[in-house]
Amino acid sequence: MSRRILATAAAATLLACATSQKDHSALMAAQVRSILVVPVMNRSVDVTAPDYFLSTVPVPIAERGYYVFPVNLVKRLLEDDGLADPGLVHAADTARLASIFGADAVLYVTIERWDARWILLSTKVTVEFSYVLRDGKTGATLWAEHQTIQYQSNDGGGGLIGAVINAAVTRAAPNYMPLARQANAKALAYPGPGFPAGPHHPLHGNDWSPPGGVVAVAPTPAAPATTAPVPNAATPSAAAERKPELVPASK
Amino acid sequence: MRAPARMVLALAALGAAACGGGRGLYYWNGYDVALYQHYRNPQDHEAFVAALVTTVREADERGLRVPPGVSAELGYALFEEGRAGEAVPWFDRERREWPESKVLMEKMIRNATQRAAQQPPSAASTTGPAGAATQGGGK
Repeated sequence: MSRRILATAAAATLLACATSQKDHSALMAAQVRSILVVPVMNRSVDVTAPDYFLSTVPVPIAERGYYVFPVNLVKRLLEDDGLADPGLVHAADTARLASIFGADAVLYVTIERWDARWILLSTKVTVEFSYVLRDGKTGATLWAEHQTIQYQSNDGGGGLIGAVINAAVTRAAPNYMPLARQANAKALAYPGPGFPAGPHHPLHGNDWSPPGGVVAVAPTPAAPATTAPVPNAATPSAAAERKPELVPASK
Repeated sequence: MRAPARMVLALAALGAAACGGGRGLYYWNGYDVALYQHYRNPQDHEAFVAALVTTVREADERGLRVPPGVSAELGYALFEEGRAGEAVPWFDRERREWPESKVLMEKMIRNATQRAAQQPPSAASTTGPAGAATQGGGK
């Protein structure tokens, strides 16, 4: 039985990144090179969530080939400017914000849910985020995405599934980070809903064609998918997929 | 039963890695974890600086690319410790390696240079990581 759950979860993970019908025309037309990730807005009750989540955002965006402004530096500068409340930042004029930092686009991320519920012997952890990328010149929405990742432990499992559970969740203090990383990975995956390769990616210009082109997409599955957490998601191996030809580029 | 289950897991991991955009362009060395730890435990500022210094140094040693933002983040972490003079070369490195950062980095360099001029030269400079940081930034 537990094997079936695993298989379903694995299939969901595989499917999730292969399927999307998002129109990337606006994003591609804007020719974005740099993305300013502003502090995360929080609609959950966990006050630590926004900063923790912020730490997971830059890596997957940069790996899509875009310049990502230093998130902590940006956050501190905004705080110094009296914008300590992310709500104020999110409500501020995008074009003005972008011009201060010299950013092509601004990414606004909101935590919709970040909670754990205990039901008898099992723990259900849910993270839910919305992502909006706005044009730094016009403020127009270039891209938007929404992800929910839910994880339910099951103490009856034991064995391997027990190990998997422990990787993502401990009963005393649920570890949201693997789920948060997984949500980002799904949101930014391409082919999929995410960003086509940016200017620093070797596939830039070759992995997207205007609607009517050949980029084939399958129907989108029902939005929130429950998937198994990926082991070792917290320790990315930088060496795994190195592109040697990129190394000397900036030196 | 174990082996097939493990295979499925490996497959899932592979799938996620493949669609996660491939963590391959840069040498991150746990930058996200360092940030997370910094937010978890802001008092331990030294550890944040040390993690960033290690990332840049190891990337240089291995001939790998330092990710966007990391040099600037290091510069700012030093700036926050009152080591404004040491911050400047890092902001400058970010600007050189990532032209996209030019507007912001020029502001940062101006601020840090001003701040450094106001500080007595001996006030902030100490031994240890300070020397290491300057070494890397000079390159």
